[in-house]
Amino acid sequence: MQKVEPSRDSFSSRALLFVRTKVSPMTIFWLVIVSILVLPIILFLSVAFSPKLLDQGPEWFTFNSFKAAADPYFVRSIWHSFVMGVVSSILATAIALGVAWIVLRTNSGARKVWNLAIFALLLAPSYLIALGWERIFERAGVLNIFGIDLPFVRDLLYGPFGIAMILTFKGIPFAYLVISNAMRGLGEEFEQAVRVHGGSRLAAFKMMSTLLLPALWSGIAIVFAESISDFGVASQLSSPGRYSVATFTLYKSVESIPVSFPLCAAISIILLLLIVFALLAQSRALRGRSFRVLSGRTRPITRQKLSPVGSFASNLTIYGLLILTLGVPVFGAISASMIQGLGTVISNYQINFDNYIRVIKSPLLRSPLLFSAEAALITATVAVILAAISSRMLVSTKNGVGKKFLDFFLLAAVGLPGIVFAIGYIFAYNLPIAQKYGFHLYGTVALLVLAYIATALPSTTRSLVGNMNQFQESLSEACRVHGSNGIKTWLTVVLPLISRPLLAAWCLTYCGTLLELPVSQILFPPGHAPLAVGIDHALGNYDFGGGTAMEVFAIISALVVVAIAYALYEKLAPVGWKQLGRAHQ
Amino acid sequence: METARESTSMSTSTKKGHLVRIENARKNYGSLAALNGLSLTIEPGQFTVLLGPSGSGKSTLIRSLAGIEKIDSGSIFLDTQEVNRGPINVAPEKRNLAMVFQDYALWPHLSAFENVEYALQRRKLSKDDSRKRVETALERVGLSTKGKNYPHELSGGEQQRVALARAIVADPALLLFDEPLSNLDADLRERLRIEISTLTREIGATALYITHDQSEAFALADKIGVINRGNLEQVGVPEEIYERPINRFVANFTGIAGTFTGTVKRVLKNSCVVSLGDDDLKVRHTVGLEVGQTVDVLIRPAATSFKKESENRISSVITDVAYRGRGYEHAIESKYGALTGVFDNVSHPRGGRISVSIDPDRCIAFPIQEK
Repeated sequence: MQKVEPSRDSFSSRALLFVRTKVSPMTIFWLVIVSILVLPIILFLSVAFSPKLLDQGPEWFTFNSFKAAADPYFVRSIWHSFVMGVVSSILATAIALGVAWIVLRTNSGARKVWNLAIFALLLAPSYLIALGWERIFERAGVLNIFGIDLPFVRDLLYGPFGIAMILTFKGIPFAYLVISNAMRGLGEEFEQAVRVHGGSRLAAFKMMSTLLLPALWSGIAIVFAESISDFGVASQLSSPGRYSVATFTLYKSVESIPVSFPLCAAISIILLLLIVFALLAQSRALRGRSFRVLSGRTRPITRQKLSPVGSFASNLTIYGLLILTLGVPVFGAISASMIQGLGTVISNYQINFDNYIRVIKSPLLRSPLLFSAEAALITATVAVILAAISSRMLVSTKNGVGKKFLDFFLLAAVGLPGIVFAIGYIFAYNLPIAQKYGFHLYGTVALLVLAYIATALPSTTRSLVGNMNQFQESLSEACRVHGSNGIKTWLTVVLPLISRPLLAAWCLTYCGTLLELPVSQILFPPGHAPLAVGIDHALGNYDFGGGTAMEVFAIISALVVVAIAYALYEKLAPVGWKQLGRAHQ
Repeated sequence: METARESTSMSTSTKKGHLVRIENARKNYGSLAALNGLSLTIEPGQFTVLLGPSGSGKSTLIRSLAGIEKIDSGSIFLDTQEVNRGPINVAPEKRNLAMVFQDYALWPHLSAFENVEYALQRRKLSKDDSRKRVETALERVGLSTKGKNYPHELSGGEQQRVALARAIVADPALLLFDEPLSNLDADLRERLRIEISTLTREIGATALYITHDQSEAFALADKIGVINRGNLEQVGVPEEIYERPINRFVANFTGIAGTFTGTVKRVLKNSCVVSLGDDDLKVRHTVGLEVGQTVDVLIRPAATSFKKESENRISSVITDVAYRGRGYEHAIESKYGALTGVFDNVSHPRGGRISVSIDPDRCIAFPIQEK
């Protein structure tokens, strides 16, 4: 056997290795993640232990903020948040699984309507859904104008039932996207195997659900995190006298004078611990099991032909769900935008399009829409690129420490309510050290967009994890051994194979950013009010008509963008990309 | 970690295969040693088969050669270039090799033609040349009419043929086969085995093929390496492995009809007489044995017959008969143990008493302590 001589160019190899490590794409990726995600989160959370670090108190190290957070009022609100998170995440995921099965595996006529409606549901922030329900059932609301008053419904709405209901509605599209993308990659051979071995349809459905476990758990984790950090529903339906949730108490703490940032940070840490609970549950459920089912051998599925009864039931399910999730709030928004004098005690109400004409003519109402559309475009594009890399890392069998680190911060960012996440941004980018090194980002559009990207990244990443989990490692290994480097492998195989989920993630992020409220409220630069702030200002000035007209315009514009994105995909994407996950009719 | 060595790509056009050298390769997954100081040399153009059970380390070895995995210590050389040692790890795409995967790894968004064409991109050919080579490759594997089909529109055998065409189209210097036939039915496996054998030798590439199927290994290989628990137990031409297995694992894994335990009664030059109890058996030995030593006698299927003129005969009962086209294979039970694959041109009835003859040259005694 030949003896191995030491490499002569070991020094130059090491030097080049150093240079390569410094500028490798993954180094850039980690720099971005640390800058937009890790730094703001850590800085803000550290205030809970060390108020003096950021001039928020005299102590370098203390647990006082946690003692303050142990007040029964805060403890109760955190418990309420936890309960709402559990209930809404389980309900939303279960409903989404059923809907995904109807839409992807059956010939139900309602499936096409759902595919169109899903983005309307995605783009409607929780505060808009809550507002829609409120506008209908509130005193002097739409139903009241027509002489109908339902106080018991109003009581339900302003309590745990209403909060859980709207959080569930809001969670359904997130869970649906994750589950449906995973279901597309799941061939029907597993269900067929159950049937030919004596299993019923129910047993086949159970088998499919088991194979979809990574996606189901991703759905539960996303909806749970979104729910406990949701500010929109809290701002509309939560109140100290009725049913307070953690985000509402946080909002009150930020609003009160003097502001107690250490207390906010302590409550945020407790919310994060709840997220860790969700993560642990997810990893415990999936530990050591492989769900890689997407490969070149996966065949398109054949849709199940429903009986007349099944067809009726599936249509009823889909249309009923759409009425509750979209119909009611849309009716609330449209009717409110067309009724002059809503919310006032005048009795001479008029129904017309004046509010829409005002939005078109008034720069004050129009420019927030255009500004938010631009910001959403940039955010969606950058967030999807980062999310694709992040989701691949999360499902990788390598990168143990980096993977756990990324996983934690991505979920922490979901768990952190937007309002405190935005405060973290101010802390991080208003530091003297940031100013000294020329990072004058505070109060700029750039900082707002960075915060948008950071807040969008976790949910966008989670929505792709289910698909990445199905991706057979050998497909990219085959690229490498047949002559492609890592980047080319990504461009020619990984991205095409997940192109449809990527498009869905892009649309999801675009819609989410367009109407984002909490980060916009804290970080918007002077003269550049985002859409949600514009609507909030209008509603705050009792211009219900103008505010709701802006909502309607925003939703229509987002639907147009989504339609264009899908039309372009259908027109431009190669045939091979489009036939992935497609079912036989 | 990939290093500056990556930038030095392997020769991109070869008429002859790589000389492959693996030296003292070690790889651990946690506490499990997948490769345990394994060394192997494969001559250019040679077709080597690594034969071993599941978990023996053969997949780790082939993936390390491909550059998909990295060994913890030791070296891997392709020709004179060290492609893996310590932080040095030449990227897979720069090793001038191709691989046929167990699950085919066909890209589902590309047609058969595009799948094959993909592997040619590194050669930077003109579009016309590229098209011709892809067509030729598809023709060689009998799929000239299926170029436009997507993977899901092809049968399992056709998918594996596309994978084979993709592997050979760029004339790589090293072809790696990761149990490529394990998902196919017996008839298709045999046909594809012949295609793999002929096509690989036609392009002159060095080939490393891993399998747990001994018949596949003997049919394909110029040389066979038997691997167990990350160690290479024996390397040699198929005849050598079969006739002179270095230890009982190699003998066992390359096919035996059964094992009898006995005591060495007399030691001759290359053979010995083993007492099984009431009967004596003359057998070969490959390691030094002493009189009185307890041994296991490993009996090859080819050693057994129902010939009456043999001296080495054991009384037995037929327990099963299987028709194999060219004749019948019998399972028998004797008081020293069971034997399978006892061949005869005629069938013997189940339950019938019969004497089995054992060819002394095709049964080997190993000391029982080896267990």
